[in-house]
Amino acid sequence: MRDFKAARAPEPNAKWLKLRVQLLFGLFLTLLGTAFARAVFLQVFEQEKLRGLAQDQYVRQIEIPARRGDIFDRRGTPLAQSVEVDSIWVDPSLLPDVRAASRAMARVLKVDADELFGRLTRAKRFAWVKRQAKPQDVDAIKELGLPGLGFTKEPKRFYPQRELAAHVVGLVGTDGHGLEGLELAFEDELSGQNSRLSGFRDAKGRKLLVQGALDPLERQGASVTLTLDRHLQYVAEKALAKAVEESRAVAGTAVVLDPRTGELLALANNPRFNPNAPEGGDRGAIRNRAALDTFEPGSTMKSFVMAAALDQKLITADSTFFCENGAWPVGRHTINDTHPHGNMNIEGILQVSSNIGTAKVANVLGRERLVAAYHAFGFAERTGLALPGEGRGVIPFPKADVALATQSFGQGMTATAVQVAAGYGALANDGVLMRPYLVSKVVDPDGVVLLENQPTELRRVVSAKTARQVVGMLESVVTKGGTAPRAAMAEYRVAGKTGTAQKADPVARGYSDKRIASFVGVVPAEAPRAVILVVVDEPKTDVYGGLVAAPAFKEIATAAMAHLAVPPSRTVAPPEGVAAAVPLAPPPASKASAKAAPIKAALAEAVTETPEPGTVRVPDVQGQAGRDAVVQLLAAALEPQVLGSGRVVSQTPAAGSMVEKGARVTLELATRQ
Amino acid sequence: MKTAPPTAAAPAPPPVRFDPLLLCAVLGLVSLGLVMVYSASAVLAQDKLGDSLYFLKRQLSAAGMGLVGMAVMMKLGWRRLARLAYPLLLLAIVLLIAVAIPGIGTTAGGARRWIRLPGFSLQPAEIAKFAWVVYLSYSLAKKREKVATFSIGFLPHLALCGILVLLCMLQPDFGSSVLLVFMLFVLLFAAGTKLSYLVGSVLLALPMAYIAIATSPYRMKRILAFLDPWAHRHDVGYQVAESLMSIGSGGVTGLGLGDGRQKLFFLPEAHTDFIFSILGEETGLIGVGLLVLLYGVVLWRGVRASLAAGETFGTYLGLGITSIIAFQATVNMSVAMGLLPTKGLTLPFVSYGGTSLVVLMGAAGVLLSLSASAQGAVNRPVRTGSDVRGVTA
Repeated sequence: MRDFKAARAPEPNAKWLKLRVQLLFGLFLTLLGTAFARAVFLQVFEQEKLRGLAQDQYVRQIEIPARRGDIFDRRGTPLAQSVEVDSIWVDPSLLPDVRAASRAMARVLKVDADELFGRLTRAKRFAWVKRQAKPQDVDAIKELGLPGLGFTKEPKRFYPQRELAAHVVGLVGTDGHGLEGLELAFEDELSGQNSRLSGFRDAKGRKLLVQGALDPLERQGASVTLTLDRHLQYVAEKALAKAVEESRAVAGTAVVLDPRTGELLALANNPRFNPNAPEGGDRGAIRNRAALDTFEPGSTMKSFVMAAALDQKLITADSTFFCENGAWPVGRHTINDTHPHGNMNIEGILQVSSNIGTAKVANVLGRERLVAAYHAFGFAERTGLALPGEGRGVIPFPKADVALATQSFGQGMTATAVQVAAGYGALANDGVLMRPYLVSKVVDPDGVVLLENQPTELRRVVSAKTARQVVGMLESVVTKGGTAPRAAMAEYRVAGKTGTAQKADPVARGYSDKRIASFVGVVPAEAPRAVILVVVDEPKTDVYGGLVAAPAFKEIATAAMAHLAVPPSRTVAPPEGVAAAVPLAPPPASKASAKAAPIKAALAEAVTETPEPGTVRVPDVQGQAGRDAVVQLLAAALEPQVLGSGRVVSQTPAAGSMVEKGARVTLELATRQ
Repeated sequence: MKTAPPTAAAPAPPPVRFDPLLLCAVLGLVSLGLVMVYSASAVLAQDKLGDSLYFLKRQLSAAGMGLVGMAVMMKLGWRRLARLAYPLLLLAIVLLIAVAIPGIGTTAGGARRWIRLPGFSLQPAEIAKFAWVVYLSYSLAKKREKVATFSIGFLPHLALCGILVLLCMLQPDFGSSVLLVFMLFVLLFAAGTKLSYLVGSVLLALPMAYIAIATSPYRMKRILAFLDPWAHRHDVGYQVAESLMSIGSGGVTGLGLGDGRQKLFFLPEAHTDFIFSILGEETGLIGVGLLVLLYGVVLWRGVRASLAAGETFGTYLGLGITSIIAFQATVNMSVAMGLLPTKGLTLPFVSYGGTSLVVLMGAAGVLLSLSASAQGAVNRPVRTGSDVRGVTA
């Protein structure tokens, strides 16, 4: 090898070498400059476009569902609430063995492993394992320690009162959107504004961070307050269920309305369903018949005919009509009464519910005025309860004489239960029809009132005098000679009317032997506080409203009067007394209840002696189920406070002691030992 | 290491003055690289290895070794490399062959490029680049005016280059192959090979390059991705599209160190081949400007040192080393900014990669020792002008 240092040979082409090196230097400088120019182009001129493209991929809009607003009864008892529940999801691409993982998870969650496996294999980076899972399921899944699992809080709808008012409240689907009832009607208000947030994600789709904390109020829907009273609703549902069950009917409806305001205090339907587990129930059970379905109301319409004729002075209370001894040919048809009657005044016609007598009054009234009167009482127009698909009812113009006759007793026309109750509300409210309503307030989380319903006078239908006159006449209905003595109450004057309508047969074109039995009552008759309508569809045992529906009315009315703290109409009751069911509270002399109505002691107990106004005797609820005890205390106008669960083991103050109305009674409950 | 036995023959040099500007530029690049490697790799390292500092630690130890290598080279002086030209080339060829053997070479990302040794892995191609430059400088300087001849000056170098390229393509390593060929052309041009040979061989190579690309779907895809990265942004153009978005996002001032988003698994090889994208995103045009400036300084002072070498071997050596740095830097940045198809060349001193950093810092040591040379060969008046022009004809 040559030694360079020693050689140090002259460099022959040194000049050229320097030139060429400098040329290369220039070339490299140019290339570096080009690269820098490109950087200037990208970072200055293209910056906005490129940054936008980049943000598209790492800024992901995360939609955070708003917490759905609650639904309350008039006293603030929640009927529908939202709770945060864990949902489990997985990134299947991170699972080492999808089949084994889905088998393990399916075993824990007790779901079909193949179905889960199918879902996990279809999804690329995200699949729900179980939405709205139970806490113990979440813990069990966490214990599996599988990679790629994620847990997200999702709001779930919960109905703490279960079946109570479920038809009115409605329900939501698994996606949290309203499907039925008020949940559907107030979907926009309840669901609130879903918030969209910018969060960063990495290329694996993981959320990295969310900018800013969330004010939980900001993502909450408005709350809806109803006019319903949880307690009356419960009583109505219970009484209705009993009526439907005992008469082996297919369905039933009960409405409790405050005639002075138009507020619906209860809107009960049977059959019932549990909105927390709606999968099991059939669609028919979910239907809110009281507001949605129309039916031929039958004889309950007679009161409106009489009121209209009296108000227009076409008849007087003393006018008499010959009731044709039970059969009156009209055209090719014959109008029948259940019992033959001769000459009767207006009160008598209502008391025995004579079709012939009413038809004759309708003849006096005439077609136009009959239809006009029905319209004036609010029929054939939607009441505007805000329930989706609310029924309207139809009143065809009665061209034929027989149509005029039948329409006067509520056949050949349709109405909803709420319309009938509201019509009676007008009679009970001195002739002024109030708009019935169900939703009193919609308030957003900031306290801004989005909707507020106040009592609204729709119109004066008849004069106060006429209204009082008709209500007075209707009191005869619950007397011994009337159609509904079972509706009579010991301490309150009841004005009411039965209805036993034939059901139209859609197949045979005519009327079937199926009936709709109803009773509508106004209580107390002298200063009405409640209109209570009970409708029983297709009863099998008895078909008459006075037999099937009236007892349920009485049960509801008894509880309602106590709950509303209505002073009794009278202190001396009808003569027949029955022994009180509660031995610790010995029956005072004045204590009585209608023999005809076999109402269970629990609710009958609501009314006890009235020794001093404003005080009540504490009922004995020892050994009763918690819920029954609470109902009984509420019926006695006491405020129950419940500790524990199960049956009542002790109560303070003791049974039989006299306390002020509204006093607190503490119940200690324990499960059966 | 410090106590290398002094060579008896070495004349006592005047006080050695290394180029401070060049030293600063190199150290600046290495420091910038350490910062960027950490920023670009922390998330990946945390995710994959559970230690966000993993890559930084390895790069730091490589930088330490590189500093030692640089100091050794500065102390030894560039002249001694002449003796090492053949051994180095032989070592490179052996390593290149070794890495091609499945049991020895480790595969990553579809290429077998590393020899895994206890504690670190070795990338033979990085050593081959340096060995090739040393060999070429030695050989061309030795052959002197015969460089201009085809059979002595051109053909042997071309043949040897072919062997090295072939070995590199076994991995495959297209980027290193291109670099080896480019170094050959740069040094042949500097040494005075006839331009017709150079141009001619380029023209001859074009059809072969076309065949090489067209027959390899993997190379074809890269070309497609280069021509229109946005149309292919979900497959072959993904990397380039992500890189463009990354650099563009940075703007003039950048998103701030550590605040880049693209390294969150959007941009593959963020800490190696595409570290420039993260630098552009996080430090903006200012950071890019600084980087270009540092390379510009290395280029300027490197060329200056080459010309000051006083011997053709030194000039070639300096030019070769400077070219490696400038070429790799330019190509890497151009690839990241969509000016060139993806190559697989790292950003010198900055990208993560131990072998590359140690070798490059050693090479920088050579450059520094050149800068310390007392006199420049090319500036020296020609003593014997007898055959200056004659032989080149």
